[in-house]
Amino acid sequence: MRRIIPIAVGITVLAVCLFSLGPANSPLSSITVSPRLVSVQRFPENELCAFDELASAGAPLPPENLLRAPRSASAIARSLTVGSSSAYAASQSSGAIADISRPPVRTIRDTYPTYTFVAVDNQHDEVVLQDNNLWSIRTFNRLENTPPGAPPSPPKRIIQGPKTDIQFNNGMYIDPKNGDIYSVETDTGDKVVVFDRTKQGDVEPNRILRVPHRGFSLAVDEDKQELYVGVQYPPQVPVYRKTASGDEKPLRSLQGESTRLSDAHGVALDTKKKLMFVNNWGHVSDYLTAGTGRFEDASISVYPLDVRGDAAPLRVIQGPKTQLNWPAAMSLDPDTGDLYVANDVGQSILVFKEMDKGNVAPSRVIKGSKTGLRYPTGVFVDAKNIEVWAANFGNATATVYPLSANGNVAPLRIIRSAPGGYEGLRFGKVEAVAYDSRREEYLVPN
Amino acid sequence: MTHPQIAAFARLAKENTPPTRTLIGQKTLISRTMHAFDYDAVHDEIVVNSPLAQAILIFRGGANGEEPPVRYIQGPHTQVVGTGYGALDAVTVDGVNNEIFLPVASNSVLVFDRTASGDVAPKRVLHGPDTQIQFPAPGDRGALPAVGVDPMHNLLIVPSRASLLIFDRNASGNAKPLRVIAGPKTELGGGKPHVYAPKGWIIATAARGAIGVWSINDNGDVPPRWRIPVTKITGMNVNGVEIDPVHKEIMVPTGNGNTVFTFSVSEIFD
Repeated sequence: MRRIIPIAVGITVLAVCLFSLGPANSPLSSITVSPRLVSVQRFPENELCAFDELASAGAPLPPENLLRAPRSASAIARSLTVGSSSAYAASQSSGAIADISRPPVRTIRDTYPTYTFVAVDNQHDEVVLQDNNLWSIRTFNRLENTPPGAPPSPPKRIIQGPKTDIQFNNGMYIDPKNGDIYSVETDTGDKVVVFDRTKQGDVEPNRILRVPHRGFSLAVDEDKQELYVGVQYPPQVPVYRKTASGDEKPLRSLQGESTRLSDAHGVALDTKKKLMFVNNWGHVSDYLTAGTGRFEDASISVYPLDVRGDAAPLRVIQGPKTQLNWPAAMSLDPDTGDLYVANDVGQSILVFKEMDKGNVAPSRVIKGSKTGLRYPTGVFVDAKNIEVWAANFGNATATVYPLSANGNVAPLRIIRSAPGGYEGLRFGKVEAVAYDSRREEYLVPN
Repeated sequence: MTHPQIAAFARLAKENTPPTRTLIGQKTLISRTMHAFDYDAVHDEIVVNSPLAQAILIFRGGANGEEPPVRYIQGPHTQVVGTGYGALDAVTVDGVNNEIFLPVASNSVLVFDRTASGDVAPKRVLHGPDTQIQFPAPGDRGALPAVGVDPMHNLLIVPSRASLLIFDRNASGNAKPLRVIAGPKTELGGGKPHVYAPKGWIIATAARGAIGVWSINDNGDVPPRWRIPVTKITGMNVNGVEIDPVHKEIMVPTGNGNTVFTFSVSEIFD
């Protein structure tokens, strides 16, 4: 039967040795001497203590430290194949497990929000920000402005907590009549959650709609009361009744090779001209067929609003002149048909004309050191107030500009949720880490 | 996800410490769902999958910004296929023997030459009923696990369902595993196994949000030698593990907390 081994008396001597000799800034220095260091093997006491001191001083390490850098390829290969120490482990016939229950010595995380999306509630003069890091939805007054040097602006309301079902939510939609907040989860949540605008704290959504894995964006046709969900991969745009909930199936869906959807992200609708715009990152493959992967340039594909099945786009905006570089959310000016694109790595907001196609340059670009844009992934056209908002993934801010802005323009206002000048970690579900032993760096993917 | 970067942090980075560099943007060809990848210390390269485009990307070790890969493997001859739900989320490099290992849908491990580029066939494929490999099919909801390589003892460690299959590193075709760690006592968790070759330890995720340590010589229903109960300690989930033998530390990414923990575990490396 399995059992947990408490610390042995003999090992306690070793633990005291370790803790007392560790340098002040050693990770071990924060550990109190208590019965917690456990092992089923005896360690060579003197060698272990001495070895720790050597390691912290940068002294040469034993050859079995395979990842120590820098070392030549031949040296590493030699150490792996010649004269290494024994690999035989202790017998497990006893069925014992030794628990190592010490707290972590270091933690890498971002303690501030990471804003992915922004939308305005014109009925109540509020702006709502989606936070991908702390899993929250934060509501501010629309005219909130955080002065330089001031502490971060506190939100009026926060929806946050395990009951909310908010995780790595990204796309958001605010009902223009009642202010209901729609938000889609972009990882394993696989759902759209809908909250009454007045909700705050750790509260359950008013309703939940289950949608395909990797939902990224939301758009609504208020005339037809239909909810569009942009799904990254396998790329598709299912369309639901706006009030759908539970496991309700979509009314129709756009999906297939002819659609030219690829790692789909932002979705925007023009309900006047009956058009749907979808942007794509160009990662293409049929997940059912081996070896079908390929890379394309990023693009924006345009479809009839009622498109369904494996339908080809009406036209495609694509090519080096477009400046598209990981395009994220999109928002359309209903009066002019101008299409605003949050251009994440381009550090810009791109504006295209509604009938643009091919390798075309944007008609306007908001970009530059004065703009405050930092990896913008959310964009929202506030036609009532003639403004355009950006959610900046990189520095916990939302910035707002005149709708006609072009070039290196300063924002009209900034909502900041971190100290001034803060550079965020830009985490978004860190599921792996690799260690670069040459540079002593952690490589962390989203 | 919203922004699928690879961010580099100084080893001693703490809360709110910004990355020293990030690999980002259209030119990099990276995409979301990078759930296990490797740094090749021998050749100073980063080897990572591009899950949504059925590709393996190889970057300079010091790659930064919008830097394209130095080469990539992709195309009809590669036999690369993931799953619709989990994509193609894990890749492993053996810098000593110049090979890249890629688990793919429907019970196969593809092995490519490390220097391969373009539309190339794998140099060998581990696949067949005798292998006992059970990976999801393309239409299944599951994800693909990452494999571990021990170049010192010439072993390949393949997580499969609730087992660790230990093969000869050069196993090919319908080869049987040398040993199988499986059973209720093992507490296996299914994540990428790392081998600390000098001691013969397999370090991988374990059940109930823990990291466990087994031996490359284990066979059958054997419990881990050590267990670091990460969820019990931190309250957060566990998505994998990486090892730093020089500083005797392990690093644990926890996706749902957007956090990387570092634990000092000298007893495992001494």
